[in-house]
Amino acid sequence: MQWLTPAMALIAGAVTVPLLVLLYFLKLKRTERVVSSTLLWQRAIQDLQVNAPFQRLRRNLLLLLQLLALIAVLIALAGPVLNMNQGAGQRYVILIDRSASMNSQEGEEAMSRLDMAVEQARTFVNSLRNKAVFGLRDRADQAMIIAFDEHAKVMCNFTSDKSQLFTALAAVTPTDRTSHVGEALTVARAFTQSPGLETNNRTSEQRAQLHLFSDGRIMDLENQLIEEGELVYHRVGESSNNVAITAMQARRSYEQTDQIQVFASLAHFGESPVTCDVQVSVNQDVVAVREVALAPAQTDANGLVIMPGRASVDVAVTYDGAGILEVRHLFKDCLSADDAAWTVIAPPRQLNVALVTQGNPVLESVFQACPLASFNTLTAEAFETAMADQAVSPYDVTVLDNLLPTRLPRGRYLAFGVVPEAMGMTVSGSLENQFIVDWRPNHSILRHVNPSHVYAAQAVEVVPPREARVLAQFNDGPAVVLTQSGGGTFVWVGFDCLKSNWPFEPSFVLFCYNVMDYLGMQVTEAHAAQLRAGEPILIRGLMPGTKAELSGPDRDTETVTTDDQGGLRFPGTDRVGTYSVAVAGETPKLFAVNLLDSEESCVAPRSDLVLSDQIVSEQDAPVSRANQPLWPFAVIVALLFVCIEWWVYNSKMRL
Amino acid sequence: MNGLKHKTYKLTDLLDAKFMARLDGLDVASRKMLRGRLQGERRSKRRGQSVEFADHRPYVVGDDLRFVDWNIYGRLGQLFLKLYQEELDLTVHVAFDQSLSMGQPTPGKYRFVRQLAAALGYVSLVHNNRVTVSAFADRVTSQAANLRGRARVSALAELLMTVESDGPSLFDVACKQLVASTPSSGVMLVISDFLFKEGYESGLKRLIGRGHDLYVIQTLAPEELNPSLSGDLKLVDIEDGDLSEVTVSSALIKHYKKNIAGYCNELKGFCARHGAAYILASTDQPVDKLVLNTLRRIHLLQ
Repeated sequence: MQWLTPAMALIAGAVTVPLLVLLYFLKLKRTERVVSSTLLWQRAIQDLQVNAPFQRLRRNLLLLLQLLALIAVLIALAGPVLNMNQGAGQRYVILIDRSASMNSQEGEEAMSRLDMAVEQARTFVNSLRNKAVFGLRDRADQAMIIAFDEHAKVMCNFTSDKSQLFTALAAVTPTDRTSHVGEALTVARAFTQSPGLETNNRTSEQRAQLHLFSDGRIMDLENQLIEEGELVYHRVGESSNNVAITAMQARRSYEQTDQIQVFASLAHFGESPVTCDVQVSVNQDVVAVREVALAPAQTDANGLVIMPGRASVDVAVTYDGAGILEVRHLFKDCLSADDAAWTVIAPPRQLNVALVTQGNPVLESVFQACPLASFNTLTAEAFETAMADQAVSPYDVTVLDNLLPTRLPRGRYLAFGVVPEAMGMTVSGSLENQFIVDWRPNHSILRHVNPSHVYAAQAVEVVPPREARVLAQFNDGPAVVLTQSGGGTFVWVGFDCLKSNWPFEPSFVLFCYNVMDYLGMQVTEAHAAQLRAGEPILIRGLMPGTKAELSGPDRDTETVTTDDQGGLRFPGTDRVGTYSVAVAGETPKLFAVNLLDSEESCVAPRSDLVLSDQIVSEQDAPVSRANQPLWPFAVIVALLFVCIEWWVYNSKMRL
Repeated sequence: MNGLKHKTYKLTDLLDAKFMARLDGLDVASRKMLRGRLQGERRSKRRGQSVEFADHRPYVVGDDLRFVDWNIYGRLGQLFLKLYQEELDLTVHVAFDQSLSMGQPTPGKYRFVRQLAAALGYVSLVHNNRVTVSAFADRVTSQAANLRGRARVSALAELLMTVESDGPSLFDVACKQLVASTPSSGVMLVISDFLFKEGYESGLKRLIGRGHDLYVIQTLAPEELNPSLSGDLKLVDIEDGDLSEVTVSSALIKHYKKNIAGYCNELKGFCARHGAAYILASTDQPVDKLVLNTLRRIHLLQ
């Protein structure tokens, strides 16, 4: 048993107990009653005193009862707590899921799952054993708090200070990121190994118990190894009713630049079919509304969603300006983060393309067929002359056809057979008679491109930098590489197209078209990207040390500064919505941050966590206070004593 | 006299007329053969003039010849005197306690005592007994001595009606004076609550030692026998002002009852040991019931 406020009880006892006894020492004001003789009364009193061995005690029975009642009240004041957790103090790691699905609001009070989890964790912290006041060998429980989504954030290191733990719990903020517990487990184990801030004679061999407060919608559970009994899962949430926008794209038509084609995919995770309206708005002006019918989700025997009810929306919007395009469904569900998706649409723009070549009719005819604003064919010398004092290329895209100017300003390049120094690639030799054997058909540059028959008589063998993405692979080296370095974007083809059969393949035209499309998107959307929650905002090409004002949903405007490379990186896109980065003297750059994650949108809580080697079931009983406060019992005992005292007093009066 | 009309007291102020009529048929009986002072109706140990033959004795010179039994002289030729049982009157002493304690806890207690004294005095008077009624507290405060005959009922009534409850009690002193004021022994009726702090033994022994046929009538109020006090009290003795602070509890009441029962038994035992009769009378019972039933049952009245 512990005492929460022993000092208060001691002080109160030091004041009240002597006061009560003093009151008894004071002369009682008695009622005078005249009797015929006090002879027999005196004898009776003497008899009573003589015959009762505990007469002194009996005479002060009322005082005794009042003292007992007072002591019971003092005990209640001291805050006695019966600790159910006996034994040495333990260490606990409280893992709180703060991902997007934890923002689901449930119940009549519309309390979010995160708030419920924090409340349960608070109850758990309350139940931690304190160090007993007079226990010399006793140890207090310690806990640390980690909030996690994709990443883990240590809110509080191991401590037995409950106020510190409560403060840390109050500081847990929601995010709209996805949920990955791996990093949190790694961090927890790392902290468990160390003695912590309060060593308190702990050894690192003591295993900490992990208490996970989550709805179980965690991506990487199957990759986690947990010892038997190491993890305790406290499930939060009940509802599965949610309609989510799981995919959204808005593209301006390449041919009709004022046309924006909006695609959105909706998923329904509830148990009954629903019909909802989906509205498309541009700069908060609703431009289209579609009614969508969604089938109920398919579930297995355990109620887990196998396949959500899906529907898609395809809307064409005419808008020739810049702004924010929002797709929002109007169904009232428990999670609001996936009710809408945003994208930043840039004003229509056609490209200015330069072809640096000694003459290549194939490339000239291909690019002339593309809808470009201008197309210039330059020699290497003319290009160098034109770029002599340019830091940034005036062309939107420059095609280097087997020619490499001595100086390349920052810009977007498609290079055939030459390796620009800015790409950071190392030329390791040359290749001959190579076939493309592997490629990434999902990448937008190779969309609908089938280079399986491409043969190159000669090619450059390079070692691409780590950050480069190899889009197509020869037998012995990379064939097509995409890299972004030095403030520019490069699509590198490792051979001269005229020394291959690619110009005779339909895929060559598609490849060139896709590259223009991709790099054109880089032009129009260099700063505006559709980001997932948690992905950083990246802006390149700014002057080093430039300050920018950043604002976004649920956050105050803050100032960020570019790095030495002129890049600006902001990782704090925790909430979905639109973010704005304003550099002085320039038009603010907009970023759309969306959830677009079926796993997070599927908010039905899991009863069992399927880990790599075991299944952890939720706790049967909700988190309850293991520490039983005893003050109500002390108050009841005090009342009992008061009642007995009242009864005794009345008995004396009546008899 | 000073011309003022003397107020006449009537015993009917204390006793019911019907009750008094029933008392007419009763007389005080003595358990002893007591010596009277005047010719009366009670047999005496003494030989004297009466119709009750007692014995013969030889004639001696000087004897009254009227008492010579001539029939025996005719048969035996010797002079014998006929002796007769002398019949004397009976002296009845009624002493009642008039101390302040008799007025507590209710005035009814003292009235009861006066009614009882009146009844006993009346019975004694109507049968030509010599009646002395005394009121005592710390001494004999009032006394109507040597009353005899129905005509002195008013004197008895005057005493009883004029003496109020007053003064402390000193039983031994009062008994000493009672003994001194009663030259002949008789039936002594002492009516009191006998709650004397200095004790009653010495006083009663004085009365018994004088040869009285002693009847001790202890009168206690119901409140004294079964008190209904409660709470924290300061009990004040009405006679000496003695204070007793008590917290009346069930245990205390229990001990009080035990004590008063023991006290009464102690008095009863004392009386039994010394040849006195003891009667405990609760003042809540009717006086006529006490007189006609209880006192007759113990043969004080017959």
